[in-house]
Amino acid sequence: MSITSGFAQIKPGEKLVFAASYNMSGLMTQLAQVTMETETMKTSKNTFLHLSCEAETFSKWDSFFKIRDLYESYVDPATLKPSLYKRNIFEGGFTKTEKYIFKSDGKTVVSTSKRKNSPEKNNAFSISNGTQDIVSLIYKLRMVDFQNFKIGQTKSFQLVFDEKEIPVVVKFIGKETISVGNLGTKECYKIAIGARTQVLKGKDKNIIWLTADAKKIPALIKFSIPVGTGQLKLSNASGI
Amino acid sequence: MRQLFLGITIFFTTLSVVFAFLPLGTLALIPIGIGIVFGFLTIKKSEESQAKWVKILLAITLLSLVIVVGKEVFIDDAVEVDQKFETQKVQSKNEAQKELEDMEGLE
Repeated sequence: MSITSGFAQIKPGEKLVFAASYNMSGLMTQLAQVTMETETMKTSKNTFLHLSCEAETFSKWDSFFKIRDLYESYVDPATLKPSLYKRNIFEGGFTKTEKYIFKSDGKTVVSTSKRKNSPEKNNAFSISNGTQDIVSLIYKLRMVDFQNFKIGQTKSFQLVFDEKEIPVVVKFIGKETISVGNLGTKECYKIAIGARTQVLKGKDKNIIWLTADAKKIPALIKFSIPVGTGQLKLSNASGI
Repeated sequence: MRQLFLGITIFFTTLSVVFAFLPLGTLALIPIGIGIVFGFLTIKKSEESQAKWVKILLAITLLSLVIVVGKEVFIDDAVEVDQKFETQKVQSKNEAQKELEDMEGLE
């Protein structure tokens, strides 16, 4: 089964492996491996696409600052509309779990969250039509037809993160040829991601490079967060 | 001035050794570089009889450089199979399936 919308195809069985680096005193230091996978999940009535994104520190870092993060989204295979989002993070002893149930009316999210040493919190909040979670948004971006975008052209999304709805604007900056792991060197769309949140910093400092072909594989992601800058570089892509 | 340079050399040589054994990758090149520069400056400011110990410090810094470069070239960054994390992923998937089924039951 493959999902086609516009020019993008997102297939179950896709596996993208990235090396995550963090800028320490001007030097990019590899810290973790980030893996994004897709697979089919069948229930008695529906078929979902399970999108997962996990981060694990390289073993040499585990004794200093262990990271085991798991972000998951269960989406409609055709539209990538999320039904269930789960976040389970372990970062150097800090833990947080989150679960969002996207109600079928498309306007409400019921959330459950729990931080380390805190009681579980339940909440319900309204969202706009077409709001994505963070995982499905990355995949949704791959369904945008950037081929006909002019430099500086933008597209807006709505993202739900930390129990808040955040407007996200992506801006097409241009094309660049870069290394795409085991896929060689490819021309990529360079897209800046802007969001009204404390999580991302700077203007045009959070950039994603997507291969300028039908698959739009994320090749490189550069991010700027309050505690520094870093990048995710594709090292291996399979099942695409 | 020699005393100051010597102090800096000792400090950065120590830091180079510590960084070389920690998983800090190329970040260790910063104290190593500073250690080498100040090592040479200290040698320049020293009498021949005083230079011996500084040369030893410089040798230690260069050894740290070899360790760091060797680790970068020969040791691949790898993720170990974490059984607990693997179990958590399977559990999460099973729970999600149940939650999705429950949601469908409510529709």
